[in-house]
Amino acid sequence: MAISTASAGSKSRRWKTLRDQLPNYLFILPQFILFAVFLLYPIARGMQISLFDWKIMLKDQHFIGLANYEALLKDKVFWEVLGNTFKFMIITVTINVGLALLVASGLKHGFFGSEFLRVLFYAPGLLSVAVIGIIGIRVWDSQLGIINYYLTSILGGPRVSWLGDTRLVIPALSITTIWWTFGFPMLVFIAGLHNIPENLYEAAKIDGASTLQSFRRITLPLIMPTMLFVVVTQFIAHMQVFAQPYIITAGGPGNASRSVVQYLYETAWKYFRYGYASSISVVLALIMIVVTVILFSAMRNRAEY
Amino acid sequence: MWLIFLPLIVVIFVPIYYMIMMAFTTEANQYLWPIRWIPQPGTLQNFRKIFADPLLPLARWFMNSLFVASVGTLIILFTSSLSGYAFARLEFPGKRFLFSLLLFSLMIPVAITLIPAFLLLRDLKLLDSYHAIWWPAAASVTGIFLLRQHFYSIPTDLEDAARVDGAGRFRIYWQICLPLVRGSLFALAIFSFLALWNDLFWPLIVLSKQTILTLPIGLVVLQQGSYVQRGLAFAGAFVATIPILIFYAFFQRRIIAGITMAGMAGQ
Repeated sequence: MAISTASAGSKSRRWKTLRDQLPNYLFILPQFILFAVFLLYPIARGMQISLFDWKIMLKDQHFIGLANYEALLKDKVFWEVLGNTFKFMIITVTINVGLALLVASGLKHGFFGSEFLRVLFYAPGLLSVAVIGIIGIRVWDSQLGIINYYLTSILGGPRVSWLGDTRLVIPALSITTIWWTFGFPMLVFIAGLHNIPENLYEAAKIDGASTLQSFRRITLPLIMPTMLFVVVTQFIAHMQVFAQPYIITAGGPGNASRSVVQYLYETAWKYFRYGYASSISVVLALIMIVVTVILFSAMRNRAEY
Repeated sequence: MWLIFLPLIVVIFVPIYYMIMMAFTTEANQYLWPIRWIPQPGTLQNFRKIFADPLLPLARWFMNSLFVASVGTLIILFTSSLSGYAFARLEFPGKRFLFSLLLFSLMIPVAITLIPAFLLLRDLKLLDSYHAIWWPAAASVTGIFLLRQHFYSIPTDLEDAARVDGAGRFRIYWQICLPLVRGSLFALAIFSFLALWNDLFWPLIVLSKQTILTLPIGLVVLQQGSYVQRGLAFAGAFVATIPILIFYAFFQRRIIAGITMAGMAGQ
């Protein structure tokens, strides 16, 4: 008897709590509607569309199973743009992260004007990629460009056709992107470095460690969590590069600087092959998720040591 | 220290200076070699052209971008702060699951959502309207993490006191908690505004009517097809960049702090 009243009481209390908590859902409702409509649904829908020979004007779409994926695996252009994208991503992420950490280490100890430098170094990050494109075209131009100006007029070197050479075009786009984006990881690293207790460095100094040694033994292991975050976000951003090649080189010469997302964009919005384009996006997403997981586990292990 | 950084300072500065300089250089002098670092004669002709040409309504595109970015930022602030507050302060069944669902979605590359989102907006007849930009942008969840952290850190007694006074939960959120997280709201606002102001890719997909284009697409138009006039492109780039840089110069400390905060919150 006592037990049943208690359970009835807790039941009604639970019911009351639930009723009391129900309006709380209203707070997350707007976000979750958008989240469901523009994120969850498109993910599922994208996978579904990739199984069709999707044409925009048709009423009934033609189901073709995995044919898009089979074609994709045999698509030479896809492999080429995937290779380009990896090359671009690796150059950009490596230099971006290295440069950002180096500059952050230099700016960590405030000195006269260090704050100004931080502001200056972040400034390119505020520009629109369209502006980066306009500047980039003229920086790398083989006839009138700034780089070739210094190379020929000041160093007396030869004119280099930066954007016309299949081997140089991706490094040129990478350097442009680094110029544009390294400020953000720099800011994150500065904040990360400030979280490392200063007395560790003092102790190392007393023990006679060199700057390089304390960088390797103290800074590097302790910055690992920040590094993990920076590398993963940089990877995700640069693997989906689009506008820099789109504006500066239009993917050329040939396909030498075409990126996966640019290929996806053209497949969908220039040739209207939505099904095939969807299979590109699914494969890109899978590759990115796998690499992200690998990065996480690899760097987790190093961070724990 | 300055000496070590000097090469980097030059590399950062020169292209921006070059853009500004070229905006004031006549079309005929755009192709002078070797490069003249001071425009002689300086001219406003590029600006006059881009603001007068009815085919290149640059002033209009500028206002469009301002409108798109401002309204979009407000929407993001509202939805993100509501959810951030709920996940930090309110209890409801399934809270953990829903939160990990948001976390999980950070792993999904945007590329996969492009085509379905585009087709959906087309079916809803929302293409060529700013709704096609605002609502997908507001679906992004990064702001929630930033604000949730900050909502956590404010003491509960204020809310308790307000509750005793009979304030409803929405009023507590709006009048008590929201003003206390101004710092994070500012950070998120800067972050969202810049992202919307600068974005090229998504507007390129969903906008095509010339009068409603945003500035970044306008700049791409400026240097394509028959408009390939360097001076005009640089003048357009100048117009798109200078207001942002001036704003940055005035609020640099808060902007840098805000961007750092947003960056760190992602971890």
